[in-house]
Amino acid sequence: MKLLVCIKQVPDLESRFKPDAAGVWYNETDLAFRMNEYDEYAVEQAVRLREQLGEGCELTVLSIGPDRVVEAIKKSLAMGCDNAAHIQDAAAYSKDPWQIASIISAYAKERNFDIIFTGMQSQDRGSAQVGVIVAELLGIACTTTIVNFDYDNGTITAKRELEGGIKGVVKLKTPALVTCQLGLNVPRYPTLPNIMKAKKKEITAISVAELLKEESLAATTSFHPPAKKGGGIVLEGDIADQVEKVIAILKDKTAVLR
Amino acid sequence: MEATREIYWNIGHGVVIPMYILAAAAFGVIAWGFWQRLPIWRQGKALDRFDHYDERVKRMLAEVFSQAKIYRVTSGGVFHSIFFWSFLTLFAGTMLVMFQADFFTPLLKINLLSGEFYKAFSLVLDLAGILALIMLAGLFIRRFVVQPEGLEIVKDDYIVLQLLFAILMTGFLTEGVRMAATELQQNPALARFSPGGLLAGQLFAGMTPGTQLVTHKIFWWLHFVLVLGFFCAIPYTKLRHILTTSVNAFLAPLEPKGSLATINLEDESVEQFGAATIGDLSWKDIFDADACTSCKRCQDRCPAAVTDKPLSPMKIVKQIGELAEGNPAGSLVETVSQDALWSCTTCRACQDICPANIEHVNKIIEMRRNLTLMEGAFPGDEVRTAVNNIEVNGNPFGLAYAARGDWADGLQISVMEQDSNVDILYFVGCYASFDKRNQAIAKNFISICNAAGVKVGILGKEEKCCGEPVRKMGNEYLYQMTAAENIELIKAYDVKKIVTTCPHCFNTLARDYKDLGLDVPVEHYSTYINTLLNTDRLTLTPEPFKYTYHDSCYLGRYMDIIEQPRAILSNAGGSITEMDKSGYDSFCCSAGGGRIMAEEKLGSKISEVRIKMATDTGAPLLVSNCPFCLTMFEDGIKTGGAEGVLQVRDLAEIVAERIAV
Amino acid sequence: MKTLLIGEYREGKMLESTYELFGFAAQLGGESAMLMVGSESQLPAYGGTLYLADAAACGEYNPDMHKKLILEAVQIENPDCIVFLHSSYGWDLAPRVAVALKAAQVSEVIALADGGFEVGCCNGKMRRTVKPATAKTVLTIQAGSFPVLQPGGTPDVRKLEAAGGTTVEFTGYEAAEKKDVDLAKAEIIVSAGRGVGKKDNIPVIQALATALGGELGASRPVVDAEWVSHSHQVGTTGQTVSPKLYVACGISGAIQHLAGMKKSDFIIAINKDKDAPIGEIADVLVVADVMQFVPAFTAKIAR
Repeated sequence: MKLLVCIKQVPDLESRFKPDAAGVWYNETDLAFRMNEYDEYAVEQAVRLREQLGEGCELTVLSIGPDRVVEAIKKSLAMGCDNAAHIQDAAAYSKDPWQIASIISAYAKERNFDIIFTGMQSQDRGSAQVGVIVAELLGIACTTTIVNFDYDNGTITAKRELEGGIKGVVKLKTPALVTCQLGLNVPRYPTLPNIMKAKKKEITAISVAELLKEESLAATTSFHPPAKKGGGIVLEGDIADQVEKVIAILKDKTAVLR
Repeated sequence: MEATREIYWNIGHGVVIPMYILAAAAFGVIAWGFWQRLPIWRQGKALDRFDHYDERVKRMLAEVFSQAKIYRVTSGGVFHSIFFWSFLTLFAGTMLVMFQADFFTPLLKINLLSGEFYKAFSLVLDLAGILALIMLAGLFIRRFVVQPEGLEIVKDDYIVLQLLFAILMTGFLTEGVRMAATELQQNPALARFSPGGLLAGQLFAGMTPGTQLVTHKIFWWLHFVLVLGFFCAIPYTKLRHILTTSVNAFLAPLEPKGSLATINLEDESVEQFGAATIGDLSWKDIFDADACTSCKRCQDRCPAAVTDKPLSPMKIVKQIGELAEGNPAGSLVETVSQDALWSCTTCRACQDICPANIEHVNKIIEMRRNLTLMEGAFPGDEVRTAVNNIEVNGNPFGLAYAARGDWADGLQISVMEQDSNVDILYFVGCYASFDKRNQAIAKNFISICNAAGVKVGILGKEEKCCGEPVRKMGNEYLYQMTAAENIELIKAYDVKKIVTTCPHCFNTLARDYKDLGLDVPVEHYSTYINTLLNTDRLTLTPEPFKYTYHDSCYLGRYMDIIEQPRAILSNAGGSITEMDKSGYDSFCCSAGGGRIMAEEKLGSKISEVRIKMATDTGAPLLVSNCPFCLTMFEDGIKTGGAEGVLQVRDLAEIVAERIAV
Repeated sequence: MKTLLIGEYREGKMLESTYELFGFAAQLGGESAMLMVGSESQLPAYGGTLYLADAAACGEYNPDMHKKLILEAVQIENPDCIVFLHSSYGWDLAPRVAVALKAAQVSEVIALADGGFEVGCCNGKMRRTVKPATAKTVLTIQAGSFPVLQPGGTPDVRKLEAAGGTTVEFTGYEAAEKKDVDLAKAEIIVSAGRGVGKKDNIPVIQALATALGGELGASRPVVDAEWVSHSHQVGTTGQTVSPKLYVACGISGAIQHLAGMKKSDFIIAINKDKDAPIGEIADVLVVADVMQFVPAFTAKIAR
């Protein structure tokens, strides 16, 4: 069995975002980076499957981006991936989901992975497209937003999270791709021996130019903070004062305190 | 008539050889008993506790003979200490008799035990015996009648108390019969110097001389056999503490309090981190179990145990002993339980009070290291989140690291990145950087420094969590990662002195960072401000106020800084009412040992217990010196219903309000 | 611009959110047609063309077959935009259609922008304007971002049929956990977010809800942390609510949460961070520590 998990390194969302010089993406200064949360669930699920299948199973982690993404790759290796592919691309942020997916599929095509795991979306761009496009380009089965995963003898049984707490149960035959939703599992905290072992695991660096043959289909023309809604009242200062004001507003504008 | 007595009266000198043979055999039993323990102790890892021999011997002698650690706790302690000195006196007296009979008399032909000296000797020994009996009675009543909560009664207690009682009694009876047959008739004036014997002698006064001689022989031999029994019992009963506890005063660490072994993360041959089984602990950790006397002082003071959490430091020490003896391959974590391990606040109250120099805290941390580094375990998801936050943003809150220095905007302060030519580097810490309540303390500290003309620098967004909470939770890896970044930065700025407002940062930077290569003087703001006051660089306008003061664990017990903060507050016009537990006996706020990151899900709330102690003083103000304590107390005042009764404020706030202009 | 709207149908019912597609189409302007895999008994109130495939035959979740059906309709209609809801159905299917057409896809559209589309990013903290460079564009629109619009009328139904296998076999639904509270009916909701700090603080928020005579709601992280049960969750993966008063305590306002409560009549947000996204939709933003403000507020109301 060959497994692949695709991860992205994203800024921590508590960070303050400022547009970059071109105004089309964020300026990386002062941002703290981490593994995309959805991808942590994907890595955990892939590692669990890797453990379930035991010897003869190989789990590769892939990430596209500048040198900093090696940190996220190392974390995946420490969590239990066997080896890694780092698609080096200092301008990954400027690629649209179509290009990112085509890079991954170009990498995966010859390597015949049985199961590919991705996050359901990235926390920064949030397009929720890449996983599905990869599956379509590779011509393999795919389902999205899974909150439960089982594998047995060539068949994946997964539960998809639908709106309102309902779940849909689906079965897929491998080769297949699944995109992972939050809450799928509890991602493990890497143990120290595994962190040490991960230092020796192979990270293959591949230049993005070798894999990217597609033009972008959509361009980001602006990255900006949302326009402030007019009319919203902002109360600052002393707590007692704030309480008085809120109560006055509630009496004035709503019927709840009458 | 000369004041002396005939040694071996009625027994005869022929007894000497069999007596010495039997005594040697008894010592042989002791040696054999402990020899058999050796393989159990040696299951532990190597650890050098035989360096600085002189210092260790001095400490051992001082601790054992002064009994200071024993009588520090009055209940039981005073009885024990007086018993110890009395029994020691009797032992020394017996030795003197032995030397007189078998050395001085036959070889030197002199008799020390005569005249005035004999009178004093006789009186002192008799009084010691009486005192020992009274203390024994006290100890007996305490254990079997009063039965303090948590004090276990085991078979050993019966054996030891009865044995000691029998030894003392047979001693007096032997003396009594001898005196009835000799002194009482021949030299009644001398008999007054043996009040115990005099009293016991009344029992035998009516006997015929023949019966007296037989009775005396019986008691003499009985006393002798019991004493031999006492020696033989040492390795096999609680009496072992006579040797193990004393030796532990030799073996106790010489490093600064709170020192933890820094794991070498470069050593790739290491496959086990922390303690999973007995073999991962040091031999001293196992030996500690033999040094424990089950006095349960640790348990009485443990904030977790007191608030009904499943942790007893004493129990952990015993569990280690039991595993070492019965199941060395057994899992420490399973035996001790994760809940017990995670409940520890590393407040050091157990270790500080322990009369046997047992090192409880590091054992717990070693087991936590196994949980964290080998199993990736956390006490709860909130801790997992906080640890991840420290990894990503360098603070447990997960707030943007770039905002770390924002609190200082507009203050007279330099950010090292821009201007590193400063008098002191203020290592702010996570709470004072991000938490609104604690930001006030940081700002107050800055105004104090400004008033004293001290130029302060901060690392701003370059600063990271010092790593203390994660280290205490067992995550040595993350600790070393964050520490290394801080150290590299501080070194690059050529810092002369570091001051912290957090005792946890203070301990970590001052002591733990040394192991990682940082060698810059570090001070807590309490001593720093005290020096500013004493050197007249800072003057206060005192304003009277009543207060009680909380000694944070990491300032008081760990760093012995107890008087300075009180001196500052008194300088500021404060009059203190001490809490029930203060100074070295202070009671933790609940947030140490990384518990600041965790929810307190088990038992009752430690902070509320402490707040109750504070309100009991009647003082309207509780002064703290630590952001963790302040946070816990703000919380404890609300949930413990002390709002309006008690206010908690930081030392820096009190000082800043009284800066003389 | 000509649009093909992809309606949603689940468990035998057309989903109400389908009408948001009309709201979007109205803003975009131009002709539109709709495609839905559903049933004749559940038709949208709309007078235009409806390509209808039978869910009984094609399945409610069968991405391979649904993709074929959409491509068939695209062939006939030749739309400029194929519009999905940004839902578990939409984000699953849209990229498949986009790849087949090699069309640009813009996800999670929240507004129209000059020459492109406005989408949320960085968990709602920021916005991007995206311009497609292809002739056809696939879009998914964020729930709650466009008005619900019922055009009225009866559709001109054109039946579509599809054949062929599937790579994803749908075996059934699993019901949501039983609710101990029905937030959809609540007139007042007081919701707790991660900002309340810890599970122990939930009763403080509950106390405010009780004092106001409302129900306790929660954001996803609070539910994931098991501080409260799932039935209290407000947001796209929980319940979509529209009470008279919504009080958001320590909720920064992830887009999924905002989508679930933005239709509330009056919104009060209490948050330490003045710049939190919740501030954009709140009528009143109280900049304060939740655990300081809420108890004071509750005490005042209770009096």
